[in-house]
Amino acid sequence: MFLGDSLRLLNREVKIIMATDVATLSSNDQIGEINKYDFRTESEAVFKARRGLDSEIVRQISEMKNEPPWMLDFRLKSLEIFQSKPMPSWGGKININFQDIYYYLKPTDSQGRSWDEVPQAIKDTFEKLGIPEAERKFLAGVKAQFESEVVYGSLKEDLSAKGVIFTDTDSAVREYPDLVRQYFSTIIPPEDNKFAALNSAVWSGGSFIYVPPGVKIEFPLQAYFRINAESMGQFERTLIIVDEGAEIHYVEGCTAPMYSTESLHSAVVEIIVKRGARCRYTTIQNWANNIYNLVTKRAVAYRDATMEWVDGNLGSHLTMKYPAVYMMEPGARGEILSIAFAGAGQHQDAGAKLVHGAPHTTGQIISKSISKNGGRSSYRGLVKVEQGAKNTKCKVVCDALILDSKSRSDTYPYIEIAEQDVSVGHEASVSRIGEEQLFYLMSRGLSESEASTMIVNGFIEPLVKELPMEYAVEMNRLIQLQMEGTVG
Amino acid sequence: MTAIATTTAFSHATVESFLESRHEPDWMLDQRRAAWRMFSELDWPDRRGEEWSRTDIRLFKLDKYSWPPAVSDDLRTPPAVLQQGVHLAGSSAALDSRPVASHLDPRWAQQGVLFGSLDQLLAEHGERLRPFLQRRIVNPYHDKFAALHAACWSGGHVLYVPRGVVIELPLHVFSAMTDGGLDFGRTLVVLEDGAEATVLAETASWSATAGGLHCGATEILMGCGANLRFVNLQDWGQGVWHFAQQRALVGRDATLQWTIAALGSRLSKVNQHVSLVGEGASCQVNGVLFTEGKQQLTYHTLQHHEARHCQSDFLYKAALQDRSRTVWRGMIKVDPGAQKTDGYQRNDNLLLSEHARADSIPGLEIEADDVRCTHGSTSGKVDEELIFYAMCRGFTRREAVRIIVSGFFQQIFDRITIESVRDALGQAIAARVREYH
Amino acid sequence: MTDFLKVATVTDLPDPGKLTLEVEDSVVVLFHVGGRFYCLDDVCTHDGGPLGEGRLCGHAIACPRHGAQFDIRTGNPLTMPATVPTRTHEVKVEGGEVYVRINQA
Repeated sequence: MFLGDSLRLLNREVKIIMATDVATLSSNDQIGEINKYDFRTESEAVFKARRGLDSEIVRQISEMKNEPPWMLDFRLKSLEIFQSKPMPSWGGKININFQDIYYYLKPTDSQGRSWDEVPQAIKDTFEKLGIPEAERKFLAGVKAQFESEVVYGSLKEDLSAKGVIFTDTDSAVREYPDLVRQYFSTIIPPEDNKFAALNSAVWSGGSFIYVPPGVKIEFPLQAYFRINAESMGQFERTLIIVDEGAEIHYVEGCTAPMYSTESLHSAVVEIIVKRGARCRYTTIQNWANNIYNLVTKRAVAYRDATMEWVDGNLGSHLTMKYPAVYMMEPGARGEILSIAFAGAGQHQDAGAKLVHGAPHTTGQIISKSISKNGGRSSYRGLVKVEQGAKNTKCKVVCDALILDSKSRSDTYPYIEIAEQDVSVGHEASVSRIGEEQLFYLMSRGLSESEASTMIVNGFIEPLVKELPMEYAVEMNRLIQLQMEGTVG
Repeated sequence: MTAIATTTAFSHATVESFLESRHEPDWMLDQRRAAWRMFSELDWPDRRGEEWSRTDIRLFKLDKYSWPPAVSDDLRTPPAVLQQGVHLAGSSAALDSRPVASHLDPRWAQQGVLFGSLDQLLAEHGERLRPFLQRRIVNPYHDKFAALHAACWSGGHVLYVPRGVVIELPLHVFSAMTDGGLDFGRTLVVLEDGAEATVLAETASWSATAGGLHCGATEILMGCGANLRFVNLQDWGQGVWHFAQQRALVGRDATLQWTIAALGSRLSKVNQHVSLVGEGASCQVNGVLFTEGKQQLTYHTLQHHEARHCQSDFLYKAALQDRSRTVWRGMIKVDPGAQKTDGYQRNDNLLLSEHARADSIPGLEIEADDVRCTHGSTSGKVDEELIFYAMCRGFTRREAVRIIVSGFFQQIFDRITIESVRDALGQAIAARVREYH
Repeated sequence: MTDFLKVATVTDLPDPGKLTLEVEDSVVVLFHVGGRFYCLDDVCTHDGGPLGEGRLCGHAIACPRHGAQFDIRTGNPLTMPATVPTRTHEVKVEGGEVYVRINQA
């Protein structure tokens, strides 16, 4: 099983619960409130900036990371932009007190707890999800350090022999300043939106990847391989450059539920896919029910390049995320596969954006969403064809399942066509599970719950088959648990 | 640079003097005054909101328009396309917000049908029309334009059909405008339970390039089992600013077929809402948009399913020439209790020139689960192979495009059950097809 | 070809400075930078909204909503999220007066 980098905060008390499982929270853990735990470490104290956000905090962050002046300047300007921008007037309801959040916490090196300390409910969940023994410990903060170093060690050698740079963004700023500076924030400038500005001011951690021309990495790179991450994944900043003819598949997140002490997560991911190159970025997100997950992800694809986003949103209280591909030279291709599952108390406001900015480009968006138990799932997307983008072909399909009358499903597609030589189609539908289908399966001996689960699995199959196998297995199991109602 | 006018024809004083000239019941005057207050308080729409972000009205200046003179010699109206060769049960015409003429076949008047100038019929049948005019079918406070209309409406048309009355022949309503003129027409159509009617509503200017302002409203109220076919042909001059709120409330088991053909205006911003309020209500909307020059037509439609077992089917087709622009924004909204909803929405765009732009924004907000809601949108150009094929058969390029454009709209024409309207629309569209090389 | 229309006097606009104007059927932004005048459509090609309300920095105007920057001399986009140039209009200065010719293309 592959783990998200948020799991890497092994020195803190990371409490893991199912995304929609309210009951196991203690009285300290009110949904939506900010929680703060004492760190039970054995040795060093943890540096923790005070709560709130101002230029002093931003300076502290930059200083802790030993950043060059240009990055500090960038952060400070971004802070001003964040403070001056209004909250978005669309999307989900965001109820955040920005001054009541910790924006930076530096982990120490030593590890936290023992397996015995992990609550039984959590152990049960791992059992149900079929997570292997070793991974459970890793997830629960009982890190088997030796094992993962060995794994990572040999991988690292292989990659660097090929000239691949794969490190965390903080290190990259120090070690590869020219390369970083050439691309950093060129795809998503801080003014882009309020949360991009926030990330730009307080970002920490995230991956920096550079793949040299012609290098094709056959196996997916996982976020957890980066050992030296310095934050809890709250404000990750990822920058991926795939040079001409290169290929990479990057995977972030995991299907196991993730809890975080801080309830605002705002990441930025910028990707450049150069001529003839290919990049796939897979995310499975299953944040706990108190998290606001507000993410800006954008890729630019050049001549004959292909960019694919595979985006799974299962958790969080509110996710707002619209992975985008800008096709800027002929032959570029963008594909986005998105799945959203909204259960009780959840709002998935997710989607995709395709901008056709050159002739002979093709795009595809497939979105599948499910709403259950009062959850709200919204598809929000854009297909924009600029004038001159001749011979654009683009197809969008959005299907939504709404499983009961308490739930809600929305579709908000925006299509802007400024070029006549195009073929653009969009279709969407919302319905519940077909009675005939259900009846057919039940008449073959399945219970209603089993039949529904099978149908839902079939519904999301196009996405699941694109996931690395371990994810796919867990995804199916997770859906099964959600459908059985044993988890929210 | 345009000079900024320091006085406007629309002020408290001029509105009051307008109200004095109306001789309307107090309840109507109160309504108008309240709307005027709202108009004064509201700002012009903000471009930052979703509703106006794609429709730029910075060049619209209310100051350029003035109240039509109370009495005028020349009350001629341009020819009305939908009237040609059609036997009508009645007709009503207005020019620059003033009623011109109306007639209704006495056969229907005898059965209690009211039809003609809303201004005149309000004077005679105020109490009968009062509940409908007070119902706020269209929200008078929706924005500054709606408030302006609610305060100043005039030259309107009304059709009231009592219970069970079936009017077999169509009724024609016509609002025309002189160059630089103004139309604040309000159209009210009320069909009581079991009533049936066909209304052909047309707007036109004297010339294709004429300017002016239309700030109007259309209100439709349908009782149980009523059946209405409503056709709206908008053919204002290409200098006209066209702002309209249109809403229909469709009752239990009632059926509404609403056809819109939008050909004219410099800029149109039309909100077309259908609320299905009674079980079993159904609505079919057919929209034809055909633009040229630098026109922009913005249509925001809403299919609101408030009751169970209702059906809505909106099909909007737009063909764009030159540098014109269309914005179609449609929403299907299904309330939590509206089970067994069948909602469908589709927008197809045919871009006939390289500088045209079509924005298509379908939408779904679904809060019931036992529903079937789908929408679709396609955009593309004319298939060059078809043109080539037609030209090989001896057609000129322009004729070939005309055939293809007609073919594009054919699906809509097939849905229109009034033959004369089909023919008239077909001709109007064919006449406008440009030649591109 | 449209004519040059007088839109301002040289002293109406400080250097650097900008001014949003209506000229015939267009809304445009007039810039005065480095002793010269430039004119762009008041449109950010990213979201179609007004551009002139943004920040002027050297020869770049930044759209206030998402930060897209345009070169005031050429109309070309300089940063994401804009990818399409905005229209430029010819400007000439004669006798202390500024004239703009609206580009009909």
